[in-house]
Formats: sequence, C-alpha cells, structure tokens
Amino acid sequence: MLSLALERVSKSFGGVQAVSDVSLEVTPGQITGLIGPNGAGKTTVVNLITGVLRLTEGRIRLGDTDLTEANASTVARLGVSRTFQNIRLLKEASVLDNVMIGFHRQEETGLAAQLVGLPSSWRESRSLVKRAQALLERFGMTRFARHPAGALSYGHQRRVEMIRAIASGPRVLLLDEPVAGMNDVEAAELGHIFEDVAKSGVALLLIEHNIRFVNALCRHVYVLDSGRLIAQGTPGQVMHDPGVIAAYLGTS
Amino acid sequence: MSFAAYQPLLDFFLLSLGFAYSQQVVLRAGVFSIATPAFAALGGYCSAILVQRYGAPAIPSVLLALVIGGVAGFLISIPLARLRGVFQAIATLALVQIVVSLAYYLEPLTGGATGIHNIPKLVNTWHLLAVVAVVIWFMYVLSRSGVGRAFDVLRQDEMVGATLGVSIARYHALAFIISGALGGLFGGLQSLYVFTIEPEMFGFAFLTAVLTYIILGGPRSVLGPIVGTAVMVALPEISRPLAEHRQFVQGAILMAMIVFLPHGLVDGLEVAWRQRQARRLDKEDREKRRAHAVAGP
Ligand SMILES: Nc1ncnc2c1ncn2[C@@H]1O[C@H](COP(=O)(O)OP(=O)(O)OP(=O)(O)O)[C@@H](O)[C@H]1O
Ligand SMILES: [Mg+2]
Repeated sequence: MLSLALERVSKSFGGVQAVSDVSLEVTPGQITGLIGPNGAGKTTVVNLITGVLRLTEGRIRLGDTDLTEANASTVARLGVSRTFQNIRLLKEASVLDNVMIGFHRQEETGLAAQLVGLPSSWRESRSLVKRAQALLERFGMTRFARHPAGALSYGHQRRVEMIRAIASGPRVLLLDEPVAGMNDVEAAELGHIFEDVAKSGVALLLIEHNIRFVNALCRHVYVLDSGRLIAQGTPGQVMHDPGVIAAYLGTS
Repeated sequence: MSFAAYQPLLDFFLLSLGFAYSQQVVLRAGVFSIATPAFAALGGYCSAILVQRYGAPAIPSVLLALVIGGVAGFLISIPLARLRGVFQAIATLALVQIVVSLAYYLEPLTGGATGIHNIPKLVNTWHLLAVVAVVIWFMYVLSRSGVGRAFDVLRQDEMVGATLGVSIARYHALAFIISGALGGLFGGLQSLYVFTIEPEMFGFAFLTAVLTYIILGGPRSVLGPIVGTAVMVALPEISRPLAEHRQFVQGAILMAMIVFLPHGLVDGLEVAWRQRQARRLDKEDREKRRAHAVAGP
C-alpha cells in the first residue's frame, strides 16, 4: 500500500500563482479531505498529480516512484485514477461502455490476441462485462446500463464517472467534488461507497465544498486558500481554525 | 439483368470497402489521417512491379503490399505523434504527395506518368470476397475488443483516455499500422485486378471518395463503411445524371451529412435509437412510480 505525497509543489499560469508551496499526503485506507473556497487551487492540485498539468516546482511521489515528470497515461498506469469536476464522459457511448473503458489498464490479453480474437480474449471480455455490471449494481445504476451516458441526469453522470474510476482498480483515487448537486441522502449513499473503497486499501482524496460531508468521512483535512495550505488536521481542528473561518467568510 | 452485369460493380464495391476500412480505422482512433491513398499507391505499385516486371506469384506480392503499407503506417505515425486535427491531415496529405511524386519520378520502376499496364489479372471476385470477409471479421473483433474501446475514448476525449492509462502514442501508431496494412493490401489487390496502375489513380478523386464512404457510413461501426461504400458505388448506377455529376453529388452528400448527421448513417441511427430507448425507459419508470403512488400504502 502506497501513499501519495506532494512535496512543496507550486504551479503558476503566467502570472497567476494557482498553487504555491503545497505539501500534503494521501494515505491508503482512509479518506483525506481537500477543501477551500472557489479558486483555491484544488482542481489544479488534482491536475498536477495526474500529469494533466506540469508543475512549476516541487516533487510528487507515489511510494518510491517519482511522478513529477510523468505524463498522464503513465501516472494512470501506476494506479492513480480521478474524476473530473466538470464531468467528462463519452456522451454518446452507453453507460456500460463508459465503465468498460475504465478496465483499460487491467486488460491482460496482449494486443495481438485481442486483434485476432482468440478465445482467451473473448473470455476476458465477458468477465469484464460481468464486473462492469456488478459495479453498476453496487451504485444502483443497473437499469441505465444501455443508456447513452449523455442522456442521464447530472447526478447519475457523476456516478458513472466514479464507477469508471473505480473500475480502473486504483491505488489512489482523486474525487473532485463527487457529490456536487446531489441531495444529502444521495451524498450519504455515495459516502458509504467511498468508505468501502478506502477500506479496501485505496488512498482516497476527496475535494468537497460540503463541510458536513467532509466532517463525516475524513480523518485528515487540508485547507487551501489562494493556492496556499492554510490549515490541516482533523475536521474538528480545521473547522475551528481562525484562518479557515476567515478564508471562508472573506470569500462568501 | 444477370449477375454478370453487376459483377464489375460488386468488385469495385469490394475494393472500395477495403479502402474505406483503411480510412475508418484511423478516424475511429481520433487521428485525422488522409493517408489511405498513399498506402494504396504503395501497395498497388508493390504488387504491380513484382508481378508484371518480375513475374512474382500473386499471394506473396499482395502480402508484401500489406506489409509495406503497415510499415509505412508505422513510420508516418512517429513524426505525427505530436500533431493533432488539421495538422495531421496536412501532414498525411504531404505523404500522399510524396508517394505520388515518387511514382512519377521513379520511371524505370513505376513507368512514370503512363504507369504500368498489362498487369496479369490474378485476382477475381471470389478472392476479393474472401479477403473482404476476413477484413470484416477482423474489424468486428477489433471493435469489440479493448483496442476498439481505447480507440473510441481517444476519438472522443483524449484527456480521459490518458487519465485511464491509454497510451495515445501507442494506439495512434497501432491505428496507423492497421490503416496502412489495409490500404496496402487493397492497393495490391487492385493492381492485380484492374490490369493497370498509374499515379493519377491515387489523386483527389480517390481521397474524397474514401472520405465520403466514412462520413456517410460513420467512423465507428463495422456496418458503417459497408453502407457508405454501397451507397456511393450504387448511386452513379441508379441514374445517369448522378453519374455525370459525380463530383457534385459527392460534395452535396458530404455537406448534408456533416450538417445533419455528423456521425454518419449507421452510427447516427444507432445513437438516436439508444437515446429513444433511454427516453422510453425513463417514461416507463415515471409511470410505474406514479401507479405506485396512486395505489399507495
Ligand atoms: N488552465 C488554467 N490556465 C490559467 N489559469 C488557471 C487554469 N486552471 C486554473 N487556473 C487558475 O488557478 C486558480 C485555481 O483554480 P482551481 O480550478 O484549481 O480552483 P478550485 O479550488 O478547484 O476552485 P473551484 O472550487 O471553483 O473548483 C484560479 O485562479 C484559476 O483561475
Ligand atoms: Mg475545482
């Protein structure tokens, strides 16, 4: 089980310092929170970890592996998965197909065997379909399996994206506002699933605006404001931190 | 009319279908390559030269055409790995120009502008049918495999593909190799079927025809190129005016498709059908819930 660690990471876009000097650790087996007001740099942190953006300074490590220079597909192959704040599904593909894509890095059959259509590759395909269906079931999404993903409601699309990320069998899972736009009941339902996923040994990073939700799920929370880490600790500790209160009041 | 009257048309359809798949496979992977004429020319000259000049047998000549196409596809994928969209199109068009110019310049080998004639006709309808059947099977297997899914995600959202571990360079190269191999294979077959090969056969008309097959049929499904190619091959036969104004008709169809059915006939209908299914299921669901509420506890 590997932790993901950011060491003094900075990122600037031209003149804008989106992330400055941030160090944090996402530990396996639990849910780590990352909160902060709008524009604090949370999504940028996820983009830096996943190799979608290059960092300006600092280092990122997964266990002993240095991810600092790695590109997106390399980071993914090392076991880091994510969801996107502005949901990115293949809108015309069916929900099932969207989930199946998540299995990409676990497919064992070689390219040649897949292309020639050997029985082993058909067998693997069938077992992947079964696994995809089981995941859909777990999220209560079975009846949408054949729907085009783009036709689903916002909340359901978020679920599909999460299922896809979980299908990829991650060691680190980064969720960017996964319950945005859902009601408390739906959010709590997903919360239970996140807890299960974390319990299975995954290091989970949860970005969220809903403080109550973070409170219920996270053991350790980091607070970002204007790209800087202004507090960290248990949810109770950070919620009473004067700097955090000021940051939230000052912007809302 | 008897079958014999339609046979040349069927043969033309089968050859065109091969080129259509060569074009489709790159588009499916999200590569805007228009290199199919180049691959076809390479394969075509390969088998023509081997058979007509050196008296080589058909099967190895056509297989070599396939290999040369595949190798050319792999080689072109290397410098193109950093290009996207319209830049890919321009770069692959340059490849077509290079290959066609070589056909003009290497006169001792290729016959220059006059080309090569009197190539023995070693390929017949049955051969074409057999090869096309294998290719359709291959495309079907591909489309259901992890490779097909990787192509689909790269076409629709490269970043999502990358964050799921799909290597863009690797799968784009694979698409180019398959495209090149299919282009080379059918180019090689064509030379041994039509008696003759000349550089002009691989010009603008060839390119637009192949693109039309896919834009009409769709970039994803296996059935798409079959429908697209069948329509375009049959149209000029249906009425004389359509034949006389082939270029114009082709242009009009392209424009209409891009505006009204950008996913092509087959893929477009598939998407529309799935959306209808989804709406129907939702409606059923609502009604069930309402009935439940009325019955109440
Ligand atoms: N690609 C980009 N180019 C330029 N500036 C960017 C880019 N991405 C983010 N920024 C800037 O970096 C800062 C941090 O943005 P980021 O999206 O990471 O915030 P966030 O904490 O995720 O906010 P939110 O809660 O609204 O999602 C913002 O000022 C934003 O405008
Ligand atoms: Mg954000």
